[in-house]
Amino acid sequence: MNNEQLQIFLDSHGAHPAGWPAAQRATVEHLIARNAEARALVEAARRLDAVLAHTTSRLTDDEAAAARVLARLSHLPAQKKPVWRWPSVLLDWQFAPAWPRMAALACCAAIGFMVGLAGLDRTLEGYETFQTVTARTDIASIFEPEALTGARP
Amino acid sequence: MDDSDEALMARVARGDQPAFRALARRHLPGMVGIARRILGNAADAEDVAQEAMLRVWTHAPRWQPLAAFKTWLTRVVVNLCLDRKRRAPWVDLEAAGEIVDPSVGAAEQAEIDERERLVQRAIENLPDRQRAAIVLTYSEGMSNAQVADVLDTSVSAVETLLVRGKQNLRRALGHIIEESD
Repeated sequence: MNNEQLQIFLDSHGAHPAGWPAAQRATVEHLIARNAEARALVEAARRLDAVLAHTTSRLTDDEAAAARVLARLSHLPAQKKPVWRWPSVLLDWQFAPAWPRMAALACCAAIGFMVGLAGLDRTLEGYETFQTVTARTDIASIFEPEALTGARP
Repeated sequence: MDDSDEALMARVARGDQPAFRALARRHLPGMVGIARRILGNAADAEDVAQEAMLRVWTHAPRWQPLAAFKTWLTRVVVNLCLDRKRRAPWVDLEAAGEIVDPSVGAAEQAEIDERERLVQRAIENLPDRQRAAIVLTYSEGMSNAQVADVLDTSVSAVETLLVRGKQNLRRALGHIIEESD
């Protein structure tokens, strides 16, 4: 490490050895021990640190300002509830022992498929309409679309 | 009762206003201080701190404890400050108080005040992210990793910000730093 690299190191980590990365501390300390210019750089970095710490230190004004802000927060608006409640519920769902749920889902799908095939979801009213239309004898009715399916002959 | 930030946030998420006020009392002074140092304006700093705390309240039901609450809140404050700096023209630091040392005389105090103003001005003239890195490091005593977390960047990027920020400060304040002991 040369003095230029030491300057970058001190700017990155500060002049206090407590803030130095352990991996580089020995190298830096060795350089400081044998090089007067390096010691001067550390001293200058220490002075800059002190100036910055002093200037940016917390003021008593901050407490008073915080009290004013807190007073302004007496009336709070409504909180924003998550818009996507359902997806988050589903994302939180525990799928860990998945097979019973997957089996239940497969059963539901199979039952739905069977109900659809068997036509158990259709009402008799639709069937009666179909019967009425097909029972008509006038020729125009032949070209009308089927009431149930909408298909043309 | 657990009064950690995370426990209080869990209560705030359920609409608990006393928990929110406890959280605000704990963090507002620090957040106002950070905002004031980044913005250089006490009135704007109060507005930013208020906006940040309102966000804490309104977004609490959706808050996920992925990072420490203070880190998250600091990130909100810093981002609000940087947004405001981008939008608004520069306003001089007028309302901030000065640290008064009763052990020194009036002339000496005036000199200290002047020096403080110059340092403050040099910090204010830094580019936004360099200033934020300096303020978080020296005002809050954050490590480079914590600053990186707040600024949502890498540790090496923070080190670069600090190096460039200090180079700029040395250029602006050379004689003041040398005389500072």
